[in-house]
Amino acid sequence: MPTQPPATQNLSRRGFFERLTDGISGAALAYLLNMDLYGGSGLLAAENEESVRRVYDLKPRRSHFEPKAQAVIHFFMNGGPSQMDLFDPKPMLDKHHGEPYLEKLDVADVQDPEQAGALMRSPFKFTQHGQSGIWLSETLPHLAQQVDDIAVIRSMFTTTPEHGLGCFKVHSGRELPGYPSIGSWTVYGLGSESENLPAYVVLEDPMGPPVNGSQGWQPGFLPPVYQGTQVRSTGSPLLNLRPEVEEPSEFVKVGSDLLRRLDRIHNRNRPGEPRLDARITGYELAARMQISATEALDLSQESQQTLDMYGVGESSPYQGREHPIDGPDSFARRCIMARRLVERGVRFVQIYVNTQIWDMHAHIENDIKAACRKTDKPIAGLIRDLKQRGLLDSTLLIWNGEFGRLPIAQFQNQKPDPGRDHNPHAFSVWMAGGGIKGGTVYGATDELGYSSVENRVSVADWHATILHLLGLHHEKLFFERAGFEEKLTSTFEPRIVAEVLN
Amino acid sequence: MSQRSRALAVRPGLFTVILLSALASTSCAAEESPRHEIAGTSVDANVSLSEVVVNNHDIVPLMLLHCTVCHGVRKQEAGLDLRTKQSMLKGGKSGPAMVPGKPDESLLLQRARAGEMPPKKREVEAGVRQMSQRELDLLTQWIALGAPEVDPSTDVAGTKVDPLISNEDRQFWAFRPPRSVKLPIPNPQAPTRSPIDVFILRKLKSNGLNLSPAADRLIMIRRVYFDLTGLPPEAEEIKRFLADPDPLAYEKLIDRLLVSPRYGERWGRYWLDLTGYADWTHAYRYRDYVIRSFNSDKPYDRLLLEQLAGDELVDTENVPVVTQQVTDNLLATGFLRMAPDPTGARLSNFVSHRVEVIADEIKIFSSSVLGLTIGCARCHDHKSDPISQRDYYRLVALFKGAFDEHDWLPPRIDDGPNRPVLVKELRVLPYVTPLAGPAQLEQERLTREANNEALEKEIESLQAAAETLKQVKLLQAKVLPKPQIRALFDRGTPSPTYIQLRGDPMSPGDWVQPAVPSVLSNGETPFDVKPPWPGATKTGRRLALARWLIQPDHPLTSRVMINRIWKHHFGTGIVTTLGNFGQTGARPTHPELLDWLALEFIRQGWSMKAMHRLMMTSSTYRQSSIADLGLRIADSKTRTPLSNPRSTIFNPQSLFSRMPLRRMEAEVLRDTLMLVSGRLDETPYGPPDPVLERKDGLATSLATERGWRRSIYVVQHSTNRNGQHNPTILETFDFPDMTPNCLERVESTVATQALHLLNDTTIRELADSFAERVSREAGSESGRQIEQAYWIALSRGPTTEENDACLEALEVLKRVAAKTGVNREEAARQALAKVCHMLLNSAAFIYID
Repeated sequence: MPTQPPATQNLSRRGFFERLTDGISGAALAYLLNMDLYGGSGLLAAENEESVRRVYDLKPRRSHFEPKAQAVIHFFMNGGPSQMDLFDPKPMLDKHHGEPYLEKLDVADVQDPEQAGALMRSPFKFTQHGQSGIWLSETLPHLAQQVDDIAVIRSMFTTTPEHGLGCFKVHSGRELPGYPSIGSWTVYGLGSESENLPAYVVLEDPMGPPVNGSQGWQPGFLPPVYQGTQVRSTGSPLLNLRPEVEEPSEFVKVGSDLLRRLDRIHNRNRPGEPRLDARITGYELAARMQISATEALDLSQESQQTLDMYGVGESSPYQGREHPIDGPDSFARRCIMARRLVERGVRFVQIYVNTQIWDMHAHIENDIKAACRKTDKPIAGLIRDLKQRGLLDSTLLIWNGEFGRLPIAQFQNQKPDPGRDHNPHAFSVWMAGGGIKGGTVYGATDELGYSSVENRVSVADWHATILHLLGLHHEKLFFERAGFEEKLTSTFEPRIVAEVLN
Repeated sequence: MSQRSRALAVRPGLFTVILLSALASTSCAAEESPRHEIAGTSVDANVSLSEVVVNNHDIVPLMLLHCTVCHGVRKQEAGLDLRTKQSMLKGGKSGPAMVPGKPDESLLLQRARAGEMPPKKREVEAGVRQMSQRELDLLTQWIALGAPEVDPSTDVAGTKVDPLISNEDRQFWAFRPPRSVKLPIPNPQAPTRSPIDVFILRKLKSNGLNLSPAADRLIMIRRVYFDLTGLPPEAEEIKRFLADPDPLAYEKLIDRLLVSPRYGERWGRYWLDLTGYADWTHAYRYRDYVIRSFNSDKPYDRLLLEQLAGDELVDTENVPVVTQQVTDNLLATGFLRMAPDPTGARLSNFVSHRVEVIADEIKIFSSSVLGLTIGCARCHDHKSDPISQRDYYRLVALFKGAFDEHDWLPPRIDDGPNRPVLVKELRVLPYVTPLAGPAQLEQERLTREANNEALEKEIESLQAAAETLKQVKLLQAKVLPKPQIRALFDRGTPSPTYIQLRGDPMSPGDWVQPAVPSVLSNGETPFDVKPPWPGATKTGRRLALARWLIQPDHPLTSRVMINRIWKHHFGTGIVTTLGNFGQTGARPTHPELLDWLALEFIRQGWSMKAMHRLMMTSSTYRQSSIADLGLRIADSKTRTPLSNPRSTIFNPQSLFSRMPLRRMEAEVLRDTLMLVSGRLDETPYGPPDPVLERKDGLATSLATERGWRRSIYVVQHSTNRNGQHNPTILETFDFPDMTPNCLERVESTVATQALHLLNDTTIRELADSFAERVSREAGSESGRQIEQAYWIALSRGPTTEENDACLEALEVLKRVAAKTGVNREEAARQALAKVCHMLLNSAAFIYID
């Protein structure tokens, strides 16, 4: 066995990862020892790269082919943003406003037929923007200025009109809990470029968690190292990041050296336990995070100009009526944090909104204004900032909800101010940055925006496209479980949406 | 009316459906379209049935949805009952409600059309809404046709062959009773000391593997302690065990632990996960019932009887003496009161909310007891298992005596005086102190009120200031609870049950009768439901369900439970999908062993403690947890290639060739930290300890005077929504969200766990207490301190290597601490506390071999 490096020595990244398995001595033996150990993953499949993968860590891994993007920032707009009020203008809806339409819908589309109203035009004006002339609703004035950087897909569809299941679907490809999220798949496939920060960071809204809570960033059956780490955007970024009473650093160091020594003794006697390796990774990471996480999330290092560009400190004249919606300040802070994290090598950052602010069964006019006020400037600011720093080409931005909304009005519980009900048949998403052909609109819904009809894009298509941009092939990125190759795109045969790619 | 015929029409024959779904799951070219579209396609193909006309079964559901809450079983406002055609014809104060053939002259229709009934302003109070145009049209059509009625016996599980479920469906392994297995003769020479070992070894050998060597006594005592009590052994007990020359010392150890009161706190917790336990008002009495029942080794069949139908076992309203058993019967039904229930709030008590509660309870019941994923059949026939939508609603009907969305008892609490008699109108029932007479009850009341009055005044005076929150919580914890319980109660007058098309209560389909899933019966015998005793005002439906479940030849009950017990001992189930024994679940790795255990469980009177003894005395359980290199290499060479994912190819680890290394679960970790540092308050039972959340989100349970109670006694929320958090340490170490229950916990390994154990203030305090204890017990000599610290935390002494590491660190730490100017004694204290803190962080502490 090679002698172990002194635990306290400042190690290179390579050395750091070698130490994770240092109780085992050598890659070949590690392979033998680890081959059986994770969640039924031990069976040999066809000859391919994954079949020799038995050690699960966050070491950077080669992608299947040249990637367009190194990192992802995912805006998850929980609730089901209304496509015909944001990205998908429908003149025919103006024309047929007030006409009954319920009979033509699928019966299961509406929560309650008694609440269903007639066709409802968007309360917002649409205009064309940028060189590309993409239509956007007037509620997105800031995104309008960056519109040539984004590609809008108007023809998404999903399989469920329920929030919980819909979130599972867009996050993990399945309508069920217990499947790895796309963030987990990404870091499973690519590892991390940062040894001081978690590979997959979740920036929760201080106003509250999303619908599925932490199930949105679970690794499912993937090893636990691929779970998203929740980082707080106010106060201490992580609970217990520092002790309340600090000890002299030398004292701390002797203690952690002892711990490392004891753990190594323990680990050495128990070969082939990836959880023990993951645990050591966790402790190493925790130690470095104490310094780096604080630094990475410290916005005092940002210029006033930058803060202003995102809308930090700004408030909103609107308040959500269906769900509490705050001003842009907090969302803007998280957008800047996302950039700072990506700059430091974090692979996947998810920015959530509280509960499901886009779920507008009533008061849609007010609430869209509120939700856009909260998110529009920060997101546009992030696109511009990444561009100015030359990071947009290597960072993929994705924006989506779990489904769209219906073209008819909904009058919930006799509220006079209408909203729209869920619609799994059509919704709009956009992507920007690494590998994306900016200024593109792809796919179309019918004339009323009820259903995707032209160049329909399924959730699996969309997932495959995201993986493709990261240099991962959706068929080659799999995890063997009980003899079955589990994939993000399941057994679907998705199509990569090449039309939105550069 | 075409809609009604759908539920049956949807199901053209199970065989086809299975084929289709098999195709869908393996070679789907494009992504599936929305769920209801799939159902819609097959429906439309079948809706050419022009002979279907409107009949009473289209109208009864309308009456239930809109009218009967005021004109039905509980109330007949204006003397009117709208439940049947006859009662409509009879009418009320204003005359007949309906004139067959003459819609415009029918009072019922007139009032409904005019928007007068139900009155708009009473919609929320009554939890109903006015009729839609579609519904009005339907009613008009029915009356116009002369109010035709059809024979209501369309869906009684009868003597005819079930058209929906075939005998072929019934051949699936999990739907057939466990088969008695010829008991293999255990080889008298170890390691096959138990029949379990014979089964396990046979499979290992056929895969070119063997059992791992036996673990030593020190490893075994730690394993066994954690396994049965969730806490480590004390040094005393270890010494006693090591010194015991009896060849049955190990068996005696297990017997000692099985009678420990800590056992119920450990194994009761597994059960609470299945029930989705959360500290709803008064729920803790159910938690205590579970712990007591496990401690007294209540047979599992009895446990099911009580939890599913305790209210139908004894006439609780009329018993002369309220015994502990009578009280337990009612407490047990708390099992069916654990799903989140929003109907206590005014605006969330409509039928649509109530059916969600029912759906959650059915999910909890079916996933925990039945081991099937039945929930999907709520909206459509199960895609992979032969469970039809009809079967789902038959099951719903079994619960209807208590869970009736048209006759609903919201979970409100009666604040009236103590009632010695159980009152069936209350959802939250009065808790009757067993064996207490009226005088004692009155005395209890006086004591409680005096106690609480003083506390409430004090609390009120404090609440002005936010910084007194902790004090307030502490005082609130001392408020004596009212004698009330959370229970389920059959009321004897269930509404008829209709299939809800697409799971939508507003789209009633066929009428169904209470019955169990057809695939689990022969399909030809009507399900026998009788009132539980002569003259009972109860349906006896849940009792019939419970009795059916505990029949010895039930294909699932025993297997599902024995598999869970196995999983908690061995780390993996024989069926790895604990809550899914269906088509999409895993196949048993050891089918014969599973069946043998299932039958043995019944043979030994459904005694769980007997099963622990059986499993834990096997050689399989006594294996080492360390992976043997030679074995693993050999194993890798003899691997068979992949084939069908659900066939008989298994992960070799699930063949039990060694014991798994296990991380302490959240509660085990917290409790052990408290115990090791001498701060565990072992007071059992009672209202849960409050949790206090700091501004930054750190949530901790409040300490009692003696320390902290076990985690099972700390208040727990079903999810961490709405700012209600479980203690941070529990959430960090994978305490589950109950949505609505937890079938199997996940284990994550993330950096936040390290941060918590390293930096959390409470953990540091505990480490200090731990160090104090070590000094107290071992004196000031370093070597003895390290030795003692290891025995306390790890239930063994340190190895030489560990000892050296700790001693070296201890010396350096003393020197470093001294540099800060503290005296020698304080420096030594700090140094030892640090070493103790690191021990509590070490893998050797948190992992169990």
